[in-house]
Amino acid sequence: MEGTLRHFVQSVRPLTDATFVIRIDRHGFRALPGQHVTLGPHRSATNREYSLYSSPEAPYLEFLIRARPGSETACALQRAQPGDEVDLAGPYGDFLIERPADPGRRYLFVATGAGIAPFHCFVRSYPSLDYRLLHGVATLADRYEREAYAPGRYVACVSREDGGEYRGRVTDYLREHPVETDRLCYLCGHSAMVARVYDQLREQGVPSDNLLTETFF
Amino acid sequence: MKVAISYPPIVNARGQVAMVSQNRNVQYFKIPTFLLPIVHAQAATWLRDLGCEVRWDDGNAQRKSFETWYEELVAWRPDVVVFESTTPVMKFYWRLVGRLKNDLPKTVVIMTGYHSMRQPEETLRACAVDVVVQSNHVDFVLRRLLPYLGEQADWRTACTIEGLFIRVDENVWRSTGTFKRVEDLNLSPDIDRDLVSWRRYAFENGNFLRTPGTYATSVIRDCTFGKCTFCRYNGPDLTFSVRSVERSLDEYQRLIEEYGVREIFDDSGVWYRGEQARAFARGILDRGLHRRGCYFGFNTRFGYMDEETVALLAKANFRFVLVGLEAADEETLLRLHKGYLPHQAYRNLEVFTRYGLHPHLTIMVGYYWQTAAQLELTVRTVRDLMLKGLARTLQVTLCTPLDFTPYHLECQEAGVLLTDDYDAFDMSKLIVRTPIPHEAYYQAIRDLYGVATDPRFVARQLRYLTSGRARDWEFLFRYGWRALRRVRNHVYNLTSNG
Ligand code: SF4
Repeated sequence: MEGTLRHFVQSVRPLTDATFVIRIDRHGFRALPGQHVTLGPHRSATNREYSLYSSPEAPYLEFLIRARPGSETACALQRAQPGDEVDLAGPYGDFLIERPADPGRRYLFVATGAGIAPFHCFVRSYPSLDYRLLHGVATLADRYEREAYAPGRYVACVSREDGGEYRGRVTDYLREHPVETDRLCYLCGHSAMVARVYDQLREQGVPSDNLLTETFF
Repeated sequence: MKVAISYPPIVNARGQVAMVSQNRNVQYFKIPTFLLPIVHAQAATWLRDLGCEVRWDDGNAQRKSFETWYEELVAWRPDVVVFESTTPVMKFYWRLVGRLKNDLPKTVVIMTGYHSMRQPEETLRACAVDVVVQSNHVDFVLRRLLPYLGEQADWRTACTIEGLFIRVDENVWRSTGTFKRVEDLNLSPDIDRDLVSWRRYAFENGNFLRTPGTYATSVIRDCTFGKCTFCRYNGPDLTFSVRSVERSLDEYQRLIEEYGVREIFDDSGVWYRGEQARAFARGILDRGLHRRGCYFGFNTRFGYMDEETVALLAKANFRFVLVGLEAADEETLLRLHKGYLPHQAYRNLEVFTRYGLHPHLTIMVGYYWQTAAQLELTVRTVRDLMLKGLARTLQVTLCTPLDFTPYHLECQEAGVLLTDDYDAFDMSKLIVRTPIPHEAYYQAIRDLYGVATDPRFVARQLRYLTSGRARDWEFLFRYGWRALRRVRNHVYNLTSNG
């Protein structure tokens, strides 16, 4: 049965002071790219939902997590040591690419912060995807592992620093670079960003049937 | 434009009234129980603000008979009537819409709600409804649609507002496309309490420890978690939207200062968690609202509240915490996608009660796979939690597939549904095939409610209520009496089944 296997931490890979990738052993756990799980330290009182960051085919499971001050689950996972047990349940969710092999299908992925996790999973799982990824971040350091994306496909919209691919928010970028209306658009991030970008893409003529959204706090 | 947002009194053969607006399920109650439908109340407020003449038409809360309610609505001659659907009352609505369209052929009838949003064509086929709203953001959709109806004579063919099924003529309808799943809830107004006659909902509601109580304009729509398979807040068509902490705090302040409410409950599927929950509690403390004799409460799930947050909430005068345990065996929790394991329930309840919160557990029995051992474990665990004082009150219901939730679809696929008559989906009896006789589940409900009369439980409740931390005799009498009436209502239903 799903979710009843025991999972142990293999490593915690820091990306910034607050953001890290936790790798746990897979133990036969199955998920689809874009799905998420609930994850928390073993026997703790709390858990949170995290999207799969690694390809479901990888021999391990990875999750990209940002630990804000006071977020008990994320901070505890950040402190985890190899061999520590975690509680994992799932997978859940319908934020999926239905026909990744469809020729000619183009995608737009829009994420803020750690909302990039499902898109990382998509591009790892489906290497031939024709996509453009907009990543809204505050600083250059928040462009988590951007070398994972094919050259020219990843655009960081950096709001507080110069030196990135684009200075400004994703909404600014989209205003200057309207999207082709036949793209399938996937939005993942904070509720307010998702609502704003959705409106913007609708105004640019993207049909609502081509917009998929996933929110988190 | 004259718009009625209508909740007809729906009375079953036993004289019980359907609570359609209950946020997750519909139940029939013999005793009066009035629940304010939050999203529709926001819609009413927004439409009124836009200049519509709005009739808040809750025949239940206004204690009208069906015929009185109907005659008054027809006499008012609305341009638009909005209903809210859910599975067990669909057949009623289909008949009602037919009658209404007969008496008021020019009136546009709009069906909202979780049943018809997932099967819009069924309702368009079954009755003369004009529009089915597919979005859970009823306020946002009506706010776009109604001005459009007023301006565009050809709206049936021309309207492009997404999330609608529109009748073009008797046998033809069209979809306007997928609805916007995430809305900025800060754009929707706070409920106008006077417009919805808030005091009608302020006393008869099992979730209030103190009265007058009221529901806050929800901070989350529908549920932050949204994965439990039986819950209407789960589905590929849904995600959640959030309202800002400051905006909600302003409303709490107004409710306390201008309306004198003594309890505010937020019925969001799952309320804030983490930093937002702490910011909310700090806001209550900063504004001194915790010293105004008002309790606060919310729904949460196991796994969302850490100790620091709970401590802060308790300091801010939060009390009633409604949390769905559902079952105590690991297999059922995993199959339901609850996302936690039994040990987490204990850990969370220990933290809640350590800080004087009042956990109210909801439990369900009668899952189509539930074995005698699983049922027994649930009964034993819940009794243990109650006797240890880790939960203060509880509500037990029969798990009933509704509104095409994943559990509903699973029951259909597994071929375990015993009926397809929607009238039977009213939670009064089990409608799925189970591995043990239905009577075993009914008995489990009686056993679970029976804990209320266990001398150990009564002694513990008295100790709690006389403790310095929670001396609240008003609660003992008022809440205790209401709880007893609720138990009688459930036992009445089950006795009739037995
Ligand atoms: S936690 Fe589960 S049952 Fe409760 S409102 Fe959310 S999805 Fe529904």
